[in-house]
Amino acid sequence: MLLFIGMSLLIFFAPLPQPVQIPKDRLIRIEASSFQFIPGEIQINPGDRVTVELVSTDVVHGFSLDGYSFELKADPGQTATGTFTAGKAGVFRFRCSVACGNLHPFMIGKLQVGVNLLLFRGIALGLLAIAAALVSLRKAPRRRM
Amino acid sequence: MTRLDLTRSPRALALLRSRWPQFLLRAITLAGFVFTILSGLMGSVVGSHNFAIIFVWIAWWTTLKLVFIPFGGRSWCSICPIPLPGEWLQNGGILQPRGGTGFGLGKRWPRFLKGSWMQAGGFLLIGLFGAMTLTSAKITAIVLLFILILALALSLVFERRSFCNYLCPIGGFTGLYAQAGPVELRVKDVDICAAHSEKTCYTACPWGQYPLALKSSANCGLCMECLRVCPSDNIAVNLRPWGSDLGPKTKHRLDEAFLGLVMLASALVDSAVFLGPWGQLKSAAYAIGSPAWFLFSGSFLLTALGILPGLYLGAAWAANRLGTTHVNLRQSLAHYSQVLVPLGLMAWIAFTISFAFVKFGYVLPAVSDPLGWGWNLIGLSKTAGVGEATSFSLNLQVAILMVGLYWSSRVACRISETIRQAAPLIAFSGLFTLAMLWLLVG
Amino acid sequence: MKKEGLARWIVILLVLAAVGVPLVGWWLSKDLAATLELHARMPENGGWSVNTIQAKVGQPIHLRLTSDDVVHGFAVGRSDHPALDILPGEFTDTTLTFDQPGKYTFYCSRWCGANHWRMRGTIEVTGEGDPIPPDPQPLFLKLGIDIDAPQTAEVTPGMTASAGRGALFASQLPAYALEKDIYLSNSPAKVWLRLRAETFLSSLSDDDVWDAVAWIWQQHATPEALKSGQELYATNCAACHGESGKGDGVMVRGLPVWDPSLHTSGDVTHQPTGEGLVSPPDFTDPKVLLGVSPALLEGKIIRGGMGTGMPYWGPIFTSEQIQAVISYLYTFSFHSQEQPRGPSN
Repeated sequence: MLLFIGMSLLIFFAPLPQPVQIPKDRLIRIEASSFQFIPGEIQINPGDRVTVELVSTDVVHGFSLDGYSFELKADPGQTATGTFTAGKAGVFRFRCSVACGNLHPFMIGKLQVGVNLLLFRGIALGLLAIAAALVSLRKAPRRRM
Repeated sequence: MTRLDLTRSPRALALLRSRWPQFLLRAITLAGFVFTILSGLMGSVVGSHNFAIIFVWIAWWTTLKLVFIPFGGRSWCSICPIPLPGEWLQNGGILQPRGGTGFGLGKRWPRFLKGSWMQAGGFLLIGLFGAMTLTSAKITAIVLLFILILALALSLVFERRSFCNYLCPIGGFTGLYAQAGPVELRVKDVDICAAHSEKTCYTACPWGQYPLALKSSANCGLCMECLRVCPSDNIAVNLRPWGSDLGPKTKHRLDEAFLGLVMLASALVDSAVFLGPWGQLKSAAYAIGSPAWFLFSGSFLLTALGILPGLYLGAAWAANRLGTTHVNLRQSLAHYSQVLVPLGLMAWIAFTISFAFVKFGYVLPAVSDPLGWGWNLIGLSKTAGVGEATSFSLNLQVAILMVGLYWSSRVACRISETIRQAAPLIAFSGLFTLAMLWLLVG
Repeated sequence: MKKEGLARWIVILLVLAAVGVPLVGWWLSKDLAATLELHARMPENGGWSVNTIQAKVGQPIHLRLTSDDVVHGFAVGRSDHPALDILPGEFTDTTLTFDQPGKYTFYCSRWCGANHWRMRGTIEVTGEGDPIPPDPQPLFLKLGIDIDAPQTAEVTPGMTASAGRGALFASQLPAYALEKDIYLSNSPAKVWLRLRAETFLSSLSDDDVWDAVAWIWQQHATPEALKSGQELYATNCAACHGESGKGDGVMVRGLPVWDPSLHTSGDVTHQPTGEGLVSPPDFTDPKVLLGVSPALLEGKIIRGGMGTGMPYWGPIFTSEQIQAVISYLYTFSFHSQEQPRGPSN
């Protein structure tokens, strides 16, 4: 039991190295319309300096990136530009930050910085969970059967 | 198994036995319900500024899944205001036990409509129109009003809580997952009941349950009516280990498998629509009646009625073949439906964490200005921010999903003869968990 | 039975309270007399909830602005009243007072979709006082310019002309070259032709003359006007004409490319569906802007492009604002600073 808890904590928090990529400057043009970002999924590497050009194609939209306190707002015809350095690895959602209609709360895109370790940790934990389930029952053979 | 009977504490027993505490809560929730309908109809058309949207879809829906069900089973049903007006008429009073003189034809619910099939169907319908219902205060209010009226009308035609038992989609949801919850109502001493011929508890039960026969908490609404009328004080309200209704010996019906699969499919589709980065999908789900929406509905129904049931059918069939004694497929499908309970419950909790933690900042502003008319009752009207998912919430979602997988694997093993036999169901759970994992943190 | 009665009263009172709160709130807010609640909605959803506001000279109008869908703005055309943002579900209060009777236009000042410019309403101010003085007849009417006729530059420079380089030839230019009227009523190409014909400038190359024309055009644009023109262009024009003037703005995507031969001197009013619309001309193409005079551009801006989807800005912009936009427009065809002379493209 303790072994499994220990292992799961290990899987959760063990510092895993991110594959090292040479950071580069990126220019990403994101078009926002009701209620989507195009592209909706962006893949970059840790350490990249990312310049986002937010272009709104219908009404005023915003771009707010989880975990980075990076925000842009763009009117149609007025491209908003901002730069941040991708210091944190993982998957981060970005959301529209200017109310733009009914589906505004769900106007979401995702930015993947490096490898999504959490997903792999999750898969490893899943295998561990199954193993733990099997072991826990073998130890205590079916009492109620 | 260990149980802690709450009724042994005189104070708790007094609280449960008196109709007042429960009644007061229900009176408040009824007022809240009416207020929600009115604010949906009269208030701001901007969802984030309307009490109806924020309270129904963020505050209540979250609390139901994060608090009421995992810590109290069907405890929400015990304070739900929806059946109150109907029961007032049925019983001829608010504080009256069932069986008094009231209005209503008191017909029996038709046999062919029994089970949770219609609840599952209702839940599917909510899913198909979810993008609209979730974002339009007016439609939310109309749905709530419709439910209130339907429950009242049905209680005048049929006996007991027909709406709750057979139609309420939330009742189906709550009932299914209450089997995993830590609260149950059971009789204390079987012999006392056997010797008691009047069955006052069955007569009083708005849910049509006979406490002596209760094996599962799925259909018991924890209303405490039996406890109040039992002449021998023979009803116990137990705190029990989670998942007590799931085991090799409990009886399960085919409709539970269907309900469980619909819930799994809804969790997947809702995660994809509301949390995913696919704008086209959101627009399709919202544009009700358009070709894109029909495509969305088709895919949703295919997932809920085709792919997931197909996979589950395959898993149950394989598990059945791998066992030493073969039962018919129908029984096997019903039996293994227990695996879907912890799997679905934890998936919904993970989804809720992902969904609601970001949006919780809207709750207090909605109290401050419930109708979106520019009021500032508690001085917090303009405090709502964009909200963001923290790494804590992401890790928590992973952990919750893993608990679900562990739990459902355990249930699969316990209800199978061998681990080999449980393997197909564990594989099914693993696949589903992987899909949820990818949708939520991928 | 006493308890039962009490319970019934509790239910009834609580439900009445639940009904009462919104009703009383609604009743109380109704008594905030003299305040006009103005809801902004996308034109597809109904536009302004009130299209005509009646007012009296000198009497303040209290407005309570809110949006039912997306971000909008509220501004009064040709006035000093600052534009206000209208955010969905939130309220913005403002007070307007008019000194002169007449008709004013209020309009949405933040782009809210392809039909954004249709969000316009009228404020009718009646009462004592001098009415708003009528506008002088716009120059394009005086000159009788058909602003719907296709206009392309007769000649274009081999490379983008530069005002910076043109400054070198300033002393050689004839006096008329800097006259306001010449600037207003002639296209750059016309002025180039006239200068080219002058024998005393025969020592200059064709491109030198173009640089001189660019310099002349710059003399009619103050830095303040250019700055104001740039802001006006960004907020009002760029969504269609494009941020770089190429006619590729976000609102006109997918429209057929503009072609002068398609340009009808039409009286066809286009439909909100956008049927029959073409994308705006490319201002960076020298054939386009060098072929039109400030007077013609002013006419287009005031009256709009009938049948093209170009809104009319007459009731919105002051003539200074229009001149500022025009000054800014020509920067799409001229360089303002000295540019090294490279191979022509």
